[in-house]
Amino acid sequence: MKNKTYLLNTLLAAVFGTYLLVAVVIRTFCPQIILPKANIPNLVLVSLVALVLDHYFAPDAKRCYICIPAFSALTFGLLPYAGAFVNPLDALKLAAAGAVVFTVTTLLFTTIQDRLSSGPAAKASAFFSAVSLYMASQCFMGMFL
Amino acid sequence: MKKQILLPVITIAVAAVILLAASFGLNSIAADRAQADHIRLMQTVLPGSTDFVLEDYDGEDANIRSVHKSEIGFVIETATNGYAGEITMYIGVNNDGKVTGLVVRDLSETFGLGAQALTDHEFLAQFLNSSGRFEIAVAQSDAFSGATEEVTEASDDTVTVDALTGATVTSKAIVRSVNSAVAYVTGADAASSATTWGG
Repeated sequence: MKNKTYLLNTLLAAVFGTYLLVAVVIRTFCPQIILPKANIPNLVLVSLVALVLDHYFAPDAKRCYICIPAFSALTFGLLPYAGAFVNPLDALKLAAAGAVVFTVTTLLFTTIQDRLSSGPAAKASAFFSAVSLYMASQCFMGMFL
Repeated sequence: MKKQILLPVITIAVAAVILLAASFGLNSIAADRAQADHIRLMQTVLPGSTDFVLEDYDGEDANIRSVHKSEIGFVIETATNGYAGEITMYIGVNNDGKVTGLVVRDLSETFGLGAQALTDHEFLAQFLNSSGRFEIAVAQSDAFSGATEEVTEASDDTVTVDALTGATVTSKAIVRSVNSAVAYVTGADAASSATTWGG
């Protein structure tokens, strides 16, 4: 079987890069539109999209919990800076926050999937687990407001 | 294994190069369109105005970010803290000190609650064609009957406005913005209701 350990971080870069490219186009041609802020629920949402795609493309992939925070920090720090959305200092903050959020989300999502990996309903479990985790992240964010 | 680890690195690098190219390539168009949008917004909140001059502002009121003067009034850009972050607004105030228009330019309030400030015309319309000091109406409930009544201690120049449902903090932030904008034009102290016209 082909090793797919690093597919998750590849998908994260692809998902976040695609979103930022759309945001660059919106910022250019529709400046009146308010773009989503880089807060915890939105970082969780991007992470969950990558995790759900990873689940369907590589259901049995192993996780490398050293590479996951390293590559996600690079993704969340470098890409917004390249798109001129943040200054260098904010890019560093976003890299640190993104690495923590993505690693924790990956850990939680993988744990939930390991428990729900049997039965005919398991095919949809990744999607519904992601929805539940996104709602949980909004509740978590509400604690700080 | 070593080749596999290159896949995310290459993807991140390619995405960064594409974003860099798109950002640089569209930079001049984005700047032109943002400027056109900025002028269109100012003309909307101050109807009848055409040209604007950016005024020097000493930053006395922390809620005011910039001041644009036209022949019939001012458009004041404000930034106040709401429930979930900063709320940026454009507020048009004519030379008589009356609010001619206001628009929320940026916010990150809760969807369905504070975010109503973007689209709730009834709430925003309460400020139009009024001057003085704005205050949120406070509802007091009767502990026995459960009935509520609005209680205000209004002075002569106080205008009472109803808050957005479930978004008192957001409503108060918007009221602070409007009070600061009006006070800039009338010369009143934004923290009190004192007004010194012609200041």
